[in-house]
Amino acid sequence: MPALTFKNVSKTFGDNTVIDAFSADIHDGEFLVLLGPSGCGKSTLLRMIAGLSDITSGDLLFDGSVANDWEPKQRGVAFVFQTYALYPHMTVRENIAFPLIMDAFRKWYHLPIVNIVARHRLMKRADIAERTLSIARQLELEPLLDRRPASLSGGQRQRVALARALVRNPALYLLDEPLSNLDAKLRTQMRSEISALHHKVGKTFVYVTHDQVEAMTMATRIIVMNKGIVQQVDTPDEIYDHPANTFVARFVGSPPMNLIPASVRNNALQLSGRLAVEHAAPLPPRRELTFGVRPEKLTLHPAGEGRLPAQVAVVERLGAETVIGCRLMTGEENKDQRLLEHDLVFVRVSGNPKIKIGELCSLDYQADDVLWFDIDNGDRIFLDQE
Amino acid sequence: MMTPRKLAMKALRYTLIGVLVVLAGFPVYWMAATALNVNSQLYGTGQVAWPQLQHLPDLVTELGNVPIGRWLFNTLLIASGGTILSLTLGALAGYALSRFKFHGRGLVGFLLFMTQVVPEALILVPLYAMFITFGLLNSLTGLILANVGFSLPVACFVLKGAMDAVPYEIEESAIIDNCPRFSVLTMIILPLIMPSIAAAAVVAFFAGWNEFLFASTFLMDNSLWPASVGLASFVGQYETPMSAVLGAALVFSLPAIVFFLLIQRKIVAGLTAGAVKG
Amino acid sequence: MSANGLKNRSGLVKLLPYAFILPPMIYLVVFMFWPLSRQMYMSLTNTRIVNPNRGRFIGLGNYERLIEDPAFYVSLKATLVYTVLTVLIGIALGVVAALAIDRPFKGRAVVRAILLFGWAVPGVAASLIWLWMYNERSGVFNRMTELLGIGRFSWLTSTDYALGSVLAVTVWQVAPFVMLVVLAALQSVPQEVREAARIDGADGISTFRAVTLPHIRPSIQLAALLVAVWSIRRFDIIYLLTGGGPLGSTSTLVVKLRQTAFEGHELGMASAYGAVGLALALMVAAVHYTVEQRRMKRMSR
Repeated sequence: MPALTFKNVSKTFGDNTVIDAFSADIHDGEFLVLLGPSGCGKSTLLRMIAGLSDITSGDLLFDGSVANDWEPKQRGVAFVFQTYALYPHMTVRENIAFPLIMDAFRKWYHLPIVNIVARHRLMKRADIAERTLSIARQLELEPLLDRRPASLSGGQRQRVALARALVRNPALYLLDEPLSNLDAKLRTQMRSEISALHHKVGKTFVYVTHDQVEAMTMATRIIVMNKGIVQQVDTPDEIYDHPANTFVARFVGSPPMNLIPASVRNNALQLSGRLAVEHAAPLPPRRELTFGVRPEKLTLHPAGEGRLPAQVAVVERLGAETVIGCRLMTGEENKDQRLLEHDLVFVRVSGNPKIKIGELCSLDYQADDVLWFDIDNGDRIFLDQE
Repeated sequence: MMTPRKLAMKALRYTLIGVLVVLAGFPVYWMAATALNVNSQLYGTGQVAWPQLQHLPDLVTELGNVPIGRWLFNTLLIASGGTILSLTLGALAGYALSRFKFHGRGLVGFLLFMTQVVPEALILVPLYAMFITFGLLNSLTGLILANVGFSLPVACFVLKGAMDAVPYEIEESAIIDNCPRFSVLTMIILPLIMPSIAAAAVVAFFAGWNEFLFASTFLMDNSLWPASVGLASFVGQYETPMSAVLGAALVFSLPAIVFFLLIQRKIVAGLTAGAVKG
Repeated sequence: MSANGLKNRSGLVKLLPYAFILPPMIYLVVFMFWPLSRQMYMSLTNTRIVNPNRGRFIGLGNYERLIEDPAFYVSLKATLVYTVLTVLIGIALGVVAALAIDRPFKGRAVVRAILLFGWAVPGVAASLIWLWMYNERSGVFNRMTELLGIGRFSWLTSTDYALGSVLAVTVWQVAPFVMLVVLAALQSVPQEVREAARIDGADGISTFRAVTLPHIRPSIQLAALLVAVWSIRRFDIIYLLTGGGPLGSTSTLVVKLRQTAFEGHELGMASAYGAVGLALALMVAAVHYTVEQRRMKRMSR
């Protein structure tokens, strides 16, 4: 089973750099999620692993050997496409059996007309028929075996695509946004099904998505990418608790981490310009920086009780919890004439507090929960190192 | 509620349609009517303007004296052979143009476009010379080889257009599943574009069916003549009754009419695609 | 493409398209472009049919003879007149027919089918029908003109009418094609735009000029290109109806080419005629592309 290594892999289309010097290791048996907004190069990376896209420079290693030029079939991978890419003219049974049949094809079977006969013959071969059937059973597709993809629902097609990936028992599974064409409910269900599948087969999964919830729930490790550059490689918990920069902080988590411009004057902290805050811990030796805190780390208090005076702008009641968007009272808030609510500070509280839009309140935080970021490049600032 | 002006417009429109129908339909009607006249009427007393079905047996007898069966069989061979060859080569070219970027792609496009502009007559003489050299003169094989040069590009345009609509993922999925490119074409792409293959086949088939210039130049032997050349041999020859001539022409035309009407839109798409994208 | 993985894939991938494109291209080169270049070369030789593979290079001799030959100008004029009139009349009738049957009415499918007859009938069969209809003694046209009391006409054997008669058959063949092309464009005119124009107060004719015509113009132009090129190429119906006569009044360059080659046995001379025909066809195509490019630029602005 392969361990994959990327060494300074880059991809350019003309002047357009899609992936810039990507280096990473993918361990055997892990569920690695490539997370990033659309167009960040994550799909291209996946296609490079599969051998569907060329590598402009750098090396891709399978178990230590350079695989840049390997044919897709040499890599022993299975690929699940966003659009499922089922063969519309074949039945579910033929779709699932297709990889097996191709493996069993001899060279001359590929001749036109011969290939039709050969395919029909091989469909009936005992081992292929059994393997197809057993995979179909595992994914509960048996009643659908003689239907064509057009007559299946989205979830069923998704399972056929998975079955086709599983049937050859590959060492590496590549999944390109496989859930993005499903509705929300089905997506949740398929998420746990794919996780369970990973546990059962115990092979390496590389999963591409722009959905941070999928990444957080399924991954053993996440690579966060933006504009072709790796932002952070870590476990879901680390990514959530210790984002490497403001991009990761904002991309992971819903609502995202609160990022508030801050300044330090004479060892005193000021948020959003004027709001002086007593901070109980050492401050970074910078004048301007970004103050970051997760919504659930903030606490909501009646006006005057917390350190940060605020006014409620948005209330989203989710049942078990409530997300409240507030505007910090910096003394300048009345000058803002915009109709749309920007730069709100979100706080997540459990239950269903009685609070109304426009009400005055206050927020508070623990100094330990604060992360500091460089205001210009967004990188995390570590207090102990400086 | 119809204003007089609207009524007048409507009347004008239907008159126009009526006139157009007569102009377009009359020659074919007249072909059928003439085929069902007897010779004495045609040249003497005057042609009866409607088809006389009672003369159908006479027509059948007259057609028996014309080697129309032999000619149609040759036509069928020429058209089918040309169709198979055009589709095979056209599918290869269409696939390459639809799926790959390669050096010389522009040149290929230009050459394909050129085939739609070059008059057939222009390569007649060199082909004639070439066929003498290779012993292909006076053979159906030679004729097919000559015809395909013109029908291949049209088949290519039709098939490329259809292949462009097949998602790349399906093809990539097959590649991951260990399917070589050639089999991707034959096992995945071609079965998915069957309607367009049928359309391209009809276009190529009737290009061969209708072809006259090459056939009349390359085939000397009467027994090899296709119907187009056979029918043309009636021109300026007066032994065969006109009813039989036009009866044979009708038999020759009917398959073309039926198939052209069935897939008219696809044919138009194929003929115009080359000029648009070339 | 072997499984051992040692071969350089990018090298093979670069060659892969050629595995598909080369067979058809080799075919076209052997059976189309090699003969074409031979033909072009032949126009610079004195090749005769008795020795088709051996001709002496005589430079522009054939073209010099061509320029001095009045028959060439007759042929060139016939080609130009025939092409221009076919395009004009064919397009006009085709567009009118398309507009007439664009909106649904009872029996439209049948009408549409009948209007396509001329396009669907093979050229040789069409020639035979029209030859019979043009027949001087017993043809339906002369029977009608006699009934009308204006006497008989030599439809195909008089220099006054021959080109017109050939033209009528040609238009019968190409107008339905134009109709189909324009009809396809008409059906794709967005109904909302038409309705918007109506709501904005445009009447039928201004709606047509403001909305419909711009939408179908590219299709008309494309049809005109094809009809023009086909007219320059057309051989069968002209050859069968008049054989190029009378007095060369219908002998287009293509007809003249075959006559010079297979009746006059002068292959070099025939090739020179062909070269002029090809030049004409290429000019038409070049004009089409220039206009098309300009339109594209305008559209993208």
